[in-house]
Amino acid sequence: MSSGEIFIVVFITAIILVSAALVIAMLISPRSTNEQKGEPYECGIPTRGTSWMQFKIGYYLFAILFLMFDVETVLLFPWAVIMKSLGVMGLCSVLFFLFILVLGLAYAWKKGALEWK
Amino acid sequence: MEFLTAYLTANNIIFFILAAIILVFGFLSVTTTKILRAATYLFFVLFAIAGLYLLLTYEFIAAVQLSVYAGGIVVLLVFAILLVKNLGEETEKVSCQKKLVSAIAAISGVVISLVTLFGFGFQNNESADELTANVNMETIGHTLMGVEKYQYLLPFEAASVFLLACIIGSVVVATNLKKEDKK
Repeated sequence: MSSGEIFIVVFITAIILVSAALVIAMLISPRSTNEQKGEPYECGIPTRGTSWMQFKIGYYLFAILFLMFDVETVLLFPWAVIMKSLGVMGLCSVLFFLFILVLGLAYAWKKGALEWK
Repeated sequence: MEFLTAYLTANNIIFFILAAIILVFGFLSVTTTKILRAATYLFFVLFAIAGLYLLLTYEFIAAVQLSVYAGGIVVLLVFAILLVKNLGEETEKVSCQKKLVSAIAAISGVVISLVTLFGFGFQNNESADELTANVNMETIGHTLMGVEKYQYLLPFEAASVFLLACIIGSVVVATNLKKEDKK
């Protein structure tokens, strides 16, 4: 048997095993339903109203700042791998890169965007 | 049977599973009437695309796809959705005319891409294989940090200025919205 055939056999067996377990459980398991089972919490104060509400703008600001610094870390990864072979020159260019981005952080800080109000 | 097993290598099977996930969830995210579900389906699509990159052994791009798209962009989209009023309501049903026009646009897009793809004449080029096989993190790093020909230190630094502009822009917009929120 080639590795491809083995893969197919294992794959089909896995699908059959899992779906058989689910189908058998669905067919023979006893069921009982009542209103309490549909509630979100088992105990505590009953919930009122819908869970849909408008969020504060602060969440969005944090998300977008997170995204910016996320992209920054992505750009730093290739440098980090070859940091030693690049030496001082590479370090300088990355420090310049970071300096410009810290300016952005300082601006956000000064504008009070990082405070939770 | 022999033809089938030759075609169904592990790589191909994984590709088809990922492609099925991408297509199904992409379709669902467009057709669902609940906006938060659309974002969730989009997350699955982006996650599966990272799987495609891994299948091509482009680990770096897969990591970028996971951290920036599946991580950052989807979080941003979800927060943007949660800012909307009347979130629980379903979106309006699209009219038949709009459906027809968008179907024509989508189908013509598919036709154009298929014509381009089949007209390109891909060759099983060994030199091209060698070129793409050796793209590891070291190569990307040297390309990004060097100043020689075909090395891109200046765009790398320009990216920091671009990100700075994005940060300042988002802070300006969001702080203005915050002030309006308080009023």
